Amino acid sequence: MLEHLELFFKSIFIDNMVFAVFLGMCSYLAVSKKVSTAVGLGAAVIFVLGVTVPLNWLLDQYLLRDGALAWLGPEYADYNLGFLSFILFIATIATMVQLVEIVVEKFSPSLYNSLGIFLPLIAVNCAILGGSLFMQTRDIPNIGLAFNYGISSGIGWFLAILAIAAIREKIRYSNVPAPLRGLGITFIITGLMGIGFQSFGGMLTGDNEPPEESAPTTAEVKQKEEKDIKKEIAEDDKAVSYNEVLNK
Amino acid sequence: MGLKEKMHELKLKYQGKKMAPAFNAFHTFLYAPNETTHSGGHIRAVDDLKRTMNTVILALVPCLIFGIFNAGYQHYSAINGFPAEFSLFEHFINWDNFILGVTTILPLVIVSYGVGLIVEFIFAVIKGHEVEEGYLVTGMLVPLIVPVDTPLWMLAVAVIFGVVIGKEVFGGTGMNILNPALTIRAFLFFAYPTWMSGDKVWVHGAKAGVTQAGSTDAISGETVLGYLAQGNTEGMYAKYDLSEMFFGFIPGSVGETSTFLILLGGLFLIFTKIASWRIMLSAVLGSLAMGLIFNGVVEFGWIPEYSKFYGLMSFDFWQHLIVGGLAFGIVYMATDPVTGSQTNKGKWIYGFLIGFISVMIRVFNPGYPEGVFLAILLMNVFAPTIDHYVVQGNVKKRLKRMKNATILPNVGEEAEQLKAETV
Repeated sequence: MLEHLELFFKSIFIDNMVFAVFLGMCSYLAVSKKVSTAVGLGAAVIFVLGVTVPLNWLLDQYLLRDGALAWLGPEYADYNLGFLSFILFIATIATMVQLVEIVVEKFSPSLYNSLGIFLPLIAVNCAILGGSLFMQTRDIPNIGLAFNYGISSGIGWFLAILAIAAIREKIRYSNVPAPLRGLGITFIITGLMGIGFQSFGGMLTGDNEPPEESAPTTAEVKQKEEKDIKKEIAEDDKAVSYNEVLNK
Repeated sequence: MGLKEKMHELKLKYQGKKMAPAFNAFHTFLYAPNETTHSGGHIRAVDDLKRTMNTVILALVPCLIFGIFNAGYQHYSAINGFPAEFSLFEHFINWDNFILGVTTILPLVIVSYGVGLIVEFIFAVIKGHEVEEGYLVTGMLVPLIVPVDTPLWMLAVAVIFGVVIGKEVFGGTGMNILNPALTIRAFLFFAYPTWMSGDKVWVHGAKAGVTQAGSTDAISGETVLGYLAQGNTEGMYAKYDLSEMFFGFIPGSVGETSTFLILLGGLFLIFTKIASWRIMLSAVLGSLAMGLIFNGVVEFGWIPEYSKFYGLMSFDFWQHLIVGGLAFGIVYMATDPVTGSQTNKGKWIYGFLIGFISVMIRVFNPGYPEGVFLAILLMNVFAPTIDHYVVQGNVKKRLKRMKNATILPNVGEEAEQLKAETV
């Protein structure tokens, strides 16, 4: 339970997809003009990440990683299909994005129109592939945590695009210098938001390990053994001299 | 010919020219403008932007004066040892402290105002609008939230960054999304961390290697939070007691130490209706809530004593308010009307989260002994989002009310009754 909470908090705030690793910037910059559109795209990203990360976890666990094919039989235990990760992950993602696209087009045509090209482009949104690849490199141990990781990094991205969309709506009538209008000021806002998100940078790190009783080193072990041997010899000597006395 | 006529002449001479805003600014700074608006309907109010700014500066002056004396007090006490029997007039308010304080802190104020206003003037001239008053408060806040010995060139660089990137690119006063003073503080913190934290920056002369009287040890002064972050709770209480923390005779940034004077300033701002009491109250509640949660965790024994966070977690929840910059941030920074939340309900949420996150950063983030400025910046980022949803909520509520008012007679039970009665 605690590890779930920690991962949830970490992937939303500390390892935020946008402000900590700068992934998914293209749609973040392009579709953040209106809050309602940003919310739609953010929700789609949460959904796609929440589905693809556990699916890719399964693929990674039972197909791709070193020795993952052992369940087929002992003769397959040596295979490492890791080089197929990218293409398989992307295939999963593309399928899920197609699904989202169909659903959105059916149930919310207005959102579908306002998202435009960026909805199918979620398939190549680096935040999505990044989620799966981070899942692989960070060795997330079970499918529950993988699901948690997908959902929470999606929420982190969602919060980022929500905040910037609200800010851009607020500054719509500001007197921004002409050369900076549009994308320029958006980049500056992103940088300033990054300063705000620095609050969480390095949080929860460096807690002390419980103080362990230091294990005896090899030198100490040797010394102890030598001592024991000497003791035995001494005792033997004693016994011998005692016997001698008796014999006399 | 008096100064007034000369200014007026210059103003007329440069009217319509490129440099006009600069002369107008000096003119209106020294004398009340003599022009009135001629057309249209207007609301007349005494508290224009300039007066609002002046009120905040007035509320800040006690903190500045205290900071000047405290700089001297900390310096001489670090050299000669802290007085055993503290008396206010003998040890604190004296000429030595005053002179040292003035010579270290006044340059900070001058650089902050000088550089900031130069940038403002340049932008006003280039963009061809009047010089805005926005920098008046920022220029006062900046020297109060930096350590005593901050090198002047660093301050100048940070001020240029803060004013240009933090404010002018958004169109100047009233348009910025982050508090410029805090942007400057954050810039200094991330660009020159060795000058912004540690036990060598809070006392004048410590960084330069001034030694204690009769020994070769260099002087130093650790803040209360610094002690706690190292888990040295006993050492902290041995050095400072609660009344010292409350009245501010402790090391820290120039103006942030005296909770008592900040409290007075805050009451003054609430009384004059310049700052929002909702933000202040909810921020206090937020920090108390987070402090209570941490105290509870310690109380129930959920965290082992060897943990790095134990010292700060077991710190009494209400004492968070009287150490570090929390009180200063809540009263003077969080209440910034431009970057804060602007709806009443939003102010409660915004303030509460500031207090909550400040204490959380203090405890959980070993990199930053003080998290208030970052918490406020973070909430500045989210303030427009909060406002957006509060406004949308109000719109929805009113639409619903309107719908109910118009539709109820046609459908539902009441409509049935109406029908039955009429038939």
